[in-house]
Amino acid sequence: MFRNNYDNDSVTFSPQGRIFQVEYASEAVKQGSVVVGLVSKTHAVLVALKRNAEELSSYQKKVIAIDEHLGLALAGLASDARVLSNFMKQQSLSSRLTYGRAIPLSRLVNSIGDRAQTNTQHYGKRPYGVGLLVAGVDETGPHLFEFQPSGMTQEMVACAIGARSQMARTYLERNLDKFADAGREELVVHGLKALKESLAQDKELTVENCSVGVVGVRGEGMKAIEGFKLFDGQDVKQWVDMVAEGAEETAEEGMDVDS
Amino acid sequence: MNHLPQAWGRPRDDVYGAYDHAYLQNGPKQHTQSPAVTGTSVLALKFKDGVVIAADNLASYGSLARFTDVKRLRKFADTTVVGFGGDVSDMQYLDRLLNSLDIEEAYGGSSHTLNAQNLHTYLSKVMYKRRSEFNPLWNQLLVAGLDGEGKPFLASADLLGTTFSSPSLATGFGAHLAQPLLRKVAFDEEAAAKLTVEEAVEAIKESMKVLFYRDARSLDKYSIAVVTKDGIDLKQDEKLEKQSWAFADQIRGYGTQIN
Amino acid sequence: MVFVQVSPRLRFPSKFPKLSFSVKQFEANHVTGADLYFVASGIQFGHANQTRASGAWRAQAPDGCQTIGFKPSHHSITSTVVPNTFSTSIGTGYDLTNSVFSPDGRNFQVEYAVKAVENGGTSIGIRCKDGVVLAVEKVISSKLLKAGANKRIATVDRHIGAVSSGLVPDGRHFVSRARDEASSWRSTYKTPITVKDLASRMGGYLQAYTLYSSVRPFGITGIVAGWDSELELPVDGQVGSGPKIGSGGKVEGKKYGGPGLFMIEPSGQYWGYYGAATGKGRQTAKAELEKLDLAAGKLSLQDGVKEAARIIYVAHADNKDKEFELEMTWISSLDGPTKGRHEEVPKDILEEAEKLAKKHLDDDDDEEETKEDDKMEE
Repeated sequence: MFRNNYDNDSVTFSPQGRIFQVEYASEAVKQGSVVVGLVSKTHAVLVALKRNAEELSSYQKKVIAIDEHLGLALAGLASDARVLSNFMKQQSLSSRLTYGRAIPLSRLVNSIGDRAQTNTQHYGKRPYGVGLLVAGVDETGPHLFEFQPSGMTQEMVACAIGARSQMARTYLERNLDKFADAGREELVVHGLKALKESLAQDKELTVENCSVGVVGVRGEGMKAIEGFKLFDGQDVKQWVDMVAEGAEETAEEGMDVDS
Repeated sequence: MNHLPQAWGRPRDDVYGAYDHAYLQNGPKQHTQSPAVTGTSVLALKFKDGVVIAADNLASYGSLARFTDVKRLRKFADTTVVGFGGDVSDMQYLDRLLNSLDIEEAYGGSSHTLNAQNLHTYLSKVMYKRRSEFNPLWNQLLVAGLDGEGKPFLASADLLGTTFSSPSLATGFGAHLAQPLLRKVAFDEEAAAKLTVEEAVEAIKESMKVLFYRDARSLDKYSIAVVTKDGIDLKQDEKLEKQSWAFADQIRGYGTQIN
Repeated sequence: MVFVQVSPRLRFPSKFPKLSFSVKQFEANHVTGADLYFVASGIQFGHANQTRASGAWRAQAPDGCQTIGFKPSHHSITSTVVPNTFSTSIGTGYDLTNSVFSPDGRNFQVEYAVKAVENGGTSIGIRCKDGVVLAVEKVISSKLLKAGANKRIATVDRHIGAVSSGLVPDGRHFVSRARDEASSWRSTYKTPITVKDLASRMGGYLQAYTLYSSVRPFGITGIVAGWDSELELPVDGQVGSGPKIGSGGKVEGKKYGGPGLFMIEPSGQYWGYYGAATGKGRQTAKAELEKLDLAAGKLSLQDGVKEAARIIYVAHADNKDKEFELEMTWISSLDGPTKGRHEEVPKDILEEAEKLAKKHLDDDDDEEETKEDDKMEE
């Protein structure tokens, strides 16, 4: 019987130059519930679908605030995300302490990318089994980054990762042109709509299973920061109601609807 | 039983005998106890659009005028000037430190640059860390530039890790001789915000002249820089003009006096 | 696990007798929802992403040059099979561990790392008389990527840039190490590292990753480019004028400094180049670079930028179905546009070069079409 001998560890290349352990790690991302991120000229938004293990258990945290100016959403192994987010919190604080400056996002994201890469090149380590969307603002405005277990990091205009996220990405690609000039509320609604696309047939968005993270810039010269804020429970009701069944028709005006 | 705090946590003399200092034959490990080759005063004054900063080009070895072309104003990234008083080799160390910081900052393109305020925070941490290791960098620094909001920024950090900010600052002898003169033109922030660049430069040059008259470790060749949002105008080989030594024969109490 | 049984008709070219697929039956081993593995005689020879539920699947065989298309409904293989250059490696066990020699003296893990490079976007470097250009083809994998962000050419020191083809995160590791080398050189010698010395250090670093079974080689080929100052440089941290004669050890009449361009392979092997190319389109790019007669040292930096853009466009033509972004940086001489620094090629110059590149491609296409038309008429 055929057996793939090249997938036992992350220090073995397959004859095609692939590293299967890393590819398998990105499968772990697809096991996590979906998260969506998107940016406008003024804001960066994260929305996430939370899962609970059973009816009476709490929901898994999907969005983590890192610093005043940024936060992240995760899909995959939550404990790996905690390791990375703790590291990011340290880096952010260290920048504030040493320079009195909010750390530039690209630098922070690169630092976890470099860390993740190390795990793919040394025996006895395993790749991180988590994908992240990092959203925040810095001197150059709002940003959204995607982080993958391979250590790949990319700046995106919008992105969705996790289970069934292809549907959300399709929504984002279709509405890509609308994000740049969208207002804060509008951006959140787009995020939730994308999230909704990825829901399983019998699921719907509720205040229990939705998380929203918002961060932005405002004021003259976009210098003032609207700090990263996490919304859960009743705080997301306003937005969940806007994308609920029925409310859709009126809100969807001018938007192409799949049937 | 000895209940005094200084005995807490130590082996009891009545059980173990008195502490044996014999192993410390060479005495305790010592770091720098005094500077070697030194630069004297640095002067700086804020005005409405920026900061003027100046230092002479002398490095003394004790009372010997050892080097007469030493540039004690160092540029950082075309946005900030750091003026160094005190030990010259420690200044060179710091200069290299700033150089490598500048290179690191430029990795990500030109979008993120540390402003003068960030740089001062960084330098003060370096100074404080070194003094906490009982191995201070024997300098007093003035950092001149603009802060995050584009307003003039001027602050000092010294070998103890002490920081200070004021519309006018001076190190070394200048702190005694020039500071009162500078305060006459800019008593507070409000007054400094009214100064033109010409007035500020004039005040600094006049103070440099007074220092040359009275500080035996000073020189009439100096560097002067004007930092504004348009960049740095640094001149490194200026000569004090319109000197008048007419007051000299009025001085009593030094050297051979005839009458 | 799902097994797809197909009975293909195979056509083996007779010049490849080594290929011993004598079976009449192929198994497509459906391992996950997305992946198919092709197996013959118990040996895996291909793998495919299931992009469509029906229609043709495409499989890439281990050496990366086999393409097998078949339609499950027709149960037949439609394209030819070429032999596997790794047929001596697979199944022997010598290719499963880094740092292990095979009986014929090869380290297969290093060769497989090269495969990762060969699938990456094309990178090139051109050493001109008054500077060096770096260019990279960035294949756009998603519409959601932010245009113009995600830079792939990095600054290593003020005067040196680096780019790589292959696994992008490995490329970042490469750059990170290069920066550390450049920085530690400065703190030791109080002067910038030369491009040659950096290449040497990086060659040593990559080589170390072929020595141990506890690591894997880098899945990249890196290109480093820079300009070593032709003038007497102040020592880092120098505050006075120093001795008037400058540093010693110089040969009279010899020219110091100038452009540098080096390419470092996963094995750690490195060479200096007039024109370097790596990644998917390297063959095409190399052919184009050779036409430039760079060894003559006549090409100016300004023209080099245009050539670099054109070559990336030409090299991409083989991969036309995917969109790409061109990224270019340069390092000029001290009296040139970047004053010896590694910088992005300014937007207007880049756009001009891209316009020319596109025009060149269109002209070429027209030419070919007219040729074919002629033949038709004949």
